[in-house]
Amino acid sequence: MTANWKKLLIAGVVCALFIALPMVMELGTNILNLLVMLFIFIILSQSWNLIGGYTGQINLGLAAFFGCGVLVTHFLWKAEVPIYLAVLAGGVATVVLAVIIGLPTLRLRGVYFAIGTLALAEVLRIVMGNIFATWVKMPGSYVTTYSLLPRYYLGLVVALIAVSVVYFVTNSKLGLAMVAVRDDEQAAQVTGVNTFKYKVLALLISAFLAGLGGGVYAFYRLSFYSISLVFSPLWTFEPLMAVMIGGAGTLVGPVIGSFFLVILSEVFALTLGEAHLILFGVLFILVILYFPYGLVGSVDQVRQLMARASRGRLWKAR
Amino acid sequence: MENVIQAIVSGILVGALYALIAYGLGLIMGIMKFLNVAHGSFLILGGYVSYWIFTLWGIDPYLSVPLVIIATFLTGLILYKLTLSPLLKLPDIEMRVANSLLVTFGVIYVLDNAMALTWTPNSRSIMTSYTGEAIDIFGAHLSITGLCGLGIAILVAVALYFILSKTYFGKHVRAATQDAEAASLCGVNVQRTYLISCGIAVALAGVAGVIVVSSYSVTPTSGLSWLLIGIVVMVLAGEGNINAILPAGIILGLIESASIFVVGAPYRQAVALVIFIIVLMFRPQGLFTGREQKSI
Amino acid sequence: MLEISNIDVCYGDLQALWDVSLTVGGGEIVTLVGSNGAGKSTIMKAISGLLKPKTGSISFEGICVNKLPAHRIAELGISMVPEGRRLFPQMSVLENLEVGASAREAKKARHNTISWIYELFPILRARARQRAVTLSGGEQQMLAIGRALMSQPRLLLIDEMSLGLAPLLVQEISQVIKDINKSRKLTIFLVEQDVNMALSMADRGYIIEHGRIQSEGAARELLCNERIKEAYLGISPGGKAG
Repeated sequence: MTANWKKLLIAGVVCALFIALPMVMELGTNILNLLVMLFIFIILSQSWNLIGGYTGQINLGLAAFFGCGVLVTHFLWKAEVPIYLAVLAGGVATVVLAVIIGLPTLRLRGVYFAIGTLALAEVLRIVMGNIFATWVKMPGSYVTTYSLLPRYYLGLVVALIAVSVVYFVTNSKLGLAMVAVRDDEQAAQVTGVNTFKYKVLALLISAFLAGLGGGVYAFYRLSFYSISLVFSPLWTFEPLMAVMIGGAGTLVGPVIGSFFLVILSEVFALTLGEAHLILFGVLFILVILYFPYGLVGSVDQVRQLMARASRGRLWKAR
Repeated sequence: MENVIQAIVSGILVGALYALIAYGLGLIMGIMKFLNVAHGSFLILGGYVSYWIFTLWGIDPYLSVPLVIIATFLTGLILYKLTLSPLLKLPDIEMRVANSLLVTFGVIYVLDNAMALTWTPNSRSIMTSYTGEAIDIFGAHLSITGLCGLGIAILVAVALYFILSKTYFGKHVRAATQDAEAASLCGVNVQRTYLISCGIAVALAGVAGVIVVSSYSVTPTSGLSWLLIGIVVMVLAGEGNINAILPAGIILGLIESASIFVVGAPYRQAVALVIFIIVLMFRPQGLFTGREQKSI
Repeated sequence: MLEISNIDVCYGDLQALWDVSLTVGGGEIVTLVGSNGAGKSTIMKAISGLLKPKTGSISFEGICVNKLPAHRIAELGISMVPEGRRLFPQMSVLENLEVGASAREAKKARHNTISWIYELFPILRARARQRAVTLSGGEQQMLAIGRALMSQPRLLLIDEMSLGLAPLLVQEISQVIKDINKSRKLTIFLVEQDVNMALSMADRGYIIEHGRIQSEGAARELLCNERIKEAYLGISPGGKAG
């Protein structure tokens, strides 16, 4: 019990820090921009973590959910709907999209689900790129009243929501079912678990979070030169990288991975230029091949090794 | 009527290119049960190699194919050694496929960014004396590059059939595919067989890239859309069914061609992908296989 | 010719063999018998290179082979007829045989070897172009043996040859094996559940139980051993069967 209270305390302190920081310091636009992107990445990576890390379904169409959230939020907000409602609506609309995409694809065997979602995301990207072939703009009034702070706080709030949702879901019966599906779907089915239902639920919640993330992005960016860019597979791949590097199937992993990706990306970009992207790609490959549990998992493994070593020493002492 | 003939002819020519793209994918999937989603990026790489050979030394793209093959074959060996062979220790086929998907997803990121860095994100294409030229038969335009593509696709189909069924290497490949442990007990170096097969598969991607760069264009990130086409053809042909890839590609080409009449040109890719989803849902073993899984 | 010294073999965390040692001399037929799950196939996999022993060593004609990959071991002259035959199902009889002759020397001589195999098992010639999966159980076993012989081995390992085969067929095949052993001086090491058949064929035998060697000796003596008779042949003391 005390371990939980300790973790909660640390989480609380970190949150308080993030909430208070802009109020006490002048952070500057660079850092604020970076932090907003960090929050968006936390949201997206937790979204992928839910369906990919905990339920074991490799969703390669995350960009479709993200883009959907961006579009819906953008147009609702343009139509004078208050931003909080617009973002929420973006999330809901994405759930609808997930029902349309998810119901057929979730019946496919593992790897075909991945390819199916990739294909559907591409279809969406092509179609949206054709429908919205020009600028998707906000009226000037929005531009003149633009300020980063509201984006920061919206991002922070939604990121907290995302982490909390993942926490509550994975600690519930739904979470148990999801992990059962990931670890051995056949065994789960045989013991009477309706695996399809849980896969769908996981996907819907995941989609909701991704849609919220898209909403935050719409609020942040205002206008889009080429809307098909928000449906680009990069929006699937980079959160995926963050999750795997940080540790899939853990609560903290995606947060650490996002931090790694966004913050270190900035740092390396200054020194290495474009090549830093290649570095992250190589790191991702190394993680998949040799450190499947990511940073968080590796810490756990080290802890286990140390525990085993000390236990060994205890035995010898006797 | 002329329009229909043109549509059929274009469909066949484009379909041949589609089949060419799928060969490399089908080989790796069928033989080693890996899904190489970076296949499209290797296609683009082949296109770039051909482009630079043409731009720097003036060699016609179709004559430079052997050089492209060498370059991409070596790349394939490196791909296998570094990223795919570590996955062989995974016992479960599902895990192998899933992890190869993730790893090669990472390779896309690395390769696409490397190409963008080296050659800028600008689109490249090769213009030769015959680009855009066509032969007219019975009122239908047959583009020269399309015909070259068809020719190469047929060549590859015949070569693969011959290699797989008549040569010792082909027998090693088939033995390793059907029972890798038994093959090694017979003295087949399964790891080396996989290595060479991977090289061949990536080389095939490179060859497809030559056609793409001379008929269309290449940019560092356009690999993904070509990959998806390759996957559609592979699924239509049926996993492991190498001989069905050419007909499957042509069928896809014809469907796409026909769909232009219905939904218009910009959406033809979307149509192909939708067909793909439908086939996956209702006939995942492909159009050409019966209930039993065909093996290489 | 083959010397196994104190090997431990594990499947992951599960240990299957404890401190196993045995030898096979040139020209002999040696058998290893034991009940299901005793560790017989594990030893075969260790010798042929599919499994690596955790400790101990396996040497063949003086060369230490326990670190070599399976295909290298096959090239050195050890050939295995695996449990369950493990033919290449979609390849023809002829192609299965050809793959068996993958090593360079064997490949060159393969036409002669194939003729010899057809002499040993005439039914294979009749079925040469048929896919392996369409053959009957007995024909498959003959093909598996033929395939193993294609590499011109000096040591032939046979894993559970009699499984699923009619007794008459088993006799026929074991006669062929005995003949090859005599005519070609081919050393044979076979593991079997059918203790009677194995001990009647072999010169020497080992008994394995729960991953450990329990007894060894000349095959004839083992056949007469009271404990063996009771445990494996179902002959209770007093000579009554069953």
